[in-house]
Amino acid sequence: MRVWELCKRNLKETYRDPVGMGFLLGFPLVFMLLFGAIFSGDTTENLAVGVVDKDNTPTSQAFVSEALTKVSVLKVISYDDADTARKDLTFGELDAYVVIPSGFSEQVFQNWQGEKADITLEMTYDESDVMVSEQLISIINAVARAFARIETPLTIDANPIHIETEITYVDFIGPGIIIFGLLILIPTSARPIVRDKEKGFMSRLLTTPTRPLDFILGYSLYMLVIAIAQIIIFIVLARLLGMDIVGNFWLAFLVFFLAGLCSIGVGMVIASLSKSENQAEPMAWLISMPLAMLSGCWFSIEMMPQYLRYLAYAFPYAHAIDAARGVLIRGVGMEAINSDFLFLIGWTVVIFAIGIVLFRRSMRS
Amino acid sequence: MTSRRAKRARTDDLAIQTFNLTKTFNGLVAVDGIELNIKRGELFALLGPNGAGKTTTINMLCCLLKPSKGTAQIMGYDILKQPFKIKEIIGVAPQETAISEHLNPQENMNLIGKIHSVKSPELKIRSKQLLETMGLEARARDQVRKFSGGMKRRLNIMMALIHNPKVIFLDEPTLGLDPQARRAIWEYITQLKKEKTILLTTHYMDEADFLADRIGIMDEGKIVALGTSQELKASTQEKNTMIVSARDLTPKVIEEVRKRYAEVSITGDTMLITDSKLDFREIVDRLQSAGATVRSAHIKELTLEDVFLNLTGKELRE
Repeated sequence: MRVWELCKRNLKETYRDPVGMGFLLGFPLVFMLLFGAIFSGDTTENLAVGVVDKDNTPTSQAFVSEALTKVSVLKVISYDDADTARKDLTFGELDAYVVIPSGFSEQVFQNWQGEKADITLEMTYDESDVMVSEQLISIINAVARAFARIETPLTIDANPIHIETEITYVDFIGPGIIIFGLLILIPTSARPIVRDKEKGFMSRLLTTPTRPLDFILGYSLYMLVIAIAQIIIFIVLARLLGMDIVGNFWLAFLVFFLAGLCSIGVGMVIASLSKSENQAEPMAWLISMPLAMLSGCWFSIEMMPQYLRYLAYAFPYAHAIDAARGVLIRGVGMEAINSDFLFLIGWTVVIFAIGIVLFRRSMRS
Repeated sequence: MTSRRAKRARTDDLAIQTFNLTKTFNGLVAVDGIELNIKRGELFALLGPNGAGKTTTINMLCCLLKPSKGTAQIMGYDILKQPFKIKEIIGVAPQETAISEHLNPQENMNLIGKIHSVKSPELKIRSKQLLETMGLEARARDQVRKFSGGMKRRLNIMMALIHNPKVIFLDEPTLGLDPQARRAIWEYITQLKKEKTILLTTHYMDEADFLADRIGIMDEGKIVALGTSQELKASTQEKNTMIVSARDLTPKVIEEVRKRYAEVSITGDTMLITDSKLDFREIVDRLQSAGATVRSAHIKELTLEDVFLNLTGKELRE
């Protein structure tokens, strides 16, 4: 009852403040649109990639013709030997070249049969162009993974066309940017709590029989409504920008929802630790921005040093991105993401527990 | 039952009782061992300059702050052991106008009312009453953020009253308001006085003088004097001053006055006579019979300001 009254009050405070509401929804949207525009572009072929097919099997040929060539930003050029490709790379004709080693088809074949096998692709690129090389690694990596894991008939000869690998960069970057939007929920959910604290409204409520749990639920229920609205907007927008949804929409939604819950919990912890908006705001950004980079919202974390990867996976967001990509791009089901999923749930429970303890403590000094 | 009642009989008429109530912040003593006994139905004012410890005292009594030492009871409930019992029966108007800016007055009151589990029909009647007496019924459906400071202060008090509390805490209820708005609030508090126990803090001596049954003068965390306004003024060493404006203030006239009063000073046609006791009639007669023509005369009475100055050697106002 009290929870609902508090939640209602918080919602009214939000939707009756058009400017604040604009920021709430508009701020992440601006980021999404910007990244969407940067990475989707028009679909001109602007990255030249050479391919040297040493495997030379129907599978490797299909990988080139059905997977790599379908990536709209790539201009794929075939080479007979690596030396020529290397020469073109040094002259700037190519951005990178990929060598498909012999044995590639067997590795892929094993994966199709459900056995885990490493797939190796040899990629040479101009490392002076950091952005392009990072982007290329991500794309080639994503394409190869999608190609290898997709469920297809056992023999490639039978139906190579079924391989659905038209992965664009938006597909790859979409889930990351949605998670980025949900990381912005950290400052967003700390803000109203700290504002009430600073303006004395919290103190007033603390002189009433409102219990700590009433507060926490009153604020988090309200933030959940905001989070759900944001997730829906993000997914719709990402879809409009060209992100495909291969897997179950609701499973992806659930992953985003849990990531949103984590952000609300972190926001609440920050709000409990700070006395004013001036303290909470920088603290929230100082946490959410590095987390966005670390968790791989904008680029694949596989290129990061090992210790940073460990750090990234200590937080829920890298797991959420992995799980969301799995569901959205590769169409995997719950069984493939359940470890990420459990991690997200565990983190949500722990951060809320910490939030409740800190909130309770900050209530009576 | 009878024995329990007998045991509590002594404190039964007390609404607020503090026992060596103390609060220190990082070694700094904000409230220093306060002992207060406030009767039920009494309006008690804590008067003192900013930083005297008034708000800290109130915050401890409302269970917002834990005392460093000592404790207090509100209607027999202990602030340390039964905070939620207390929270059910108190109403607090904090110093910052703690209202929800994007809600209207009705919604603000409903929120507090529903938190206190006031039933809807009762809530309706009470909020209507409060809106009428506080003169906000015309603005009941307008968002609060457009309100003037005085209106916000009034709503701040209304939200402390919506659930019909037994004990009311008003922390600087008229801070920063113009005289007219202050008057309106004073009048309302006067109406409340008959039925509720009220503890208010203020640094306006006229406010304490006008409203309070008893006043505790607070300075540097301590209650330095306590009593009715009359008692406090009578206890001070300060003297009254009579200001006389008269023609023909000849040396003879002045000599005549000095026979009785030691402190007399003249500037032009104005004579100032200072003493602890001044007899208005007698002085005027004395001046007239000595040959002066008195045009006007009045006694500047002691104010709580003077009492405070006398007690602490400091001005009450910043």
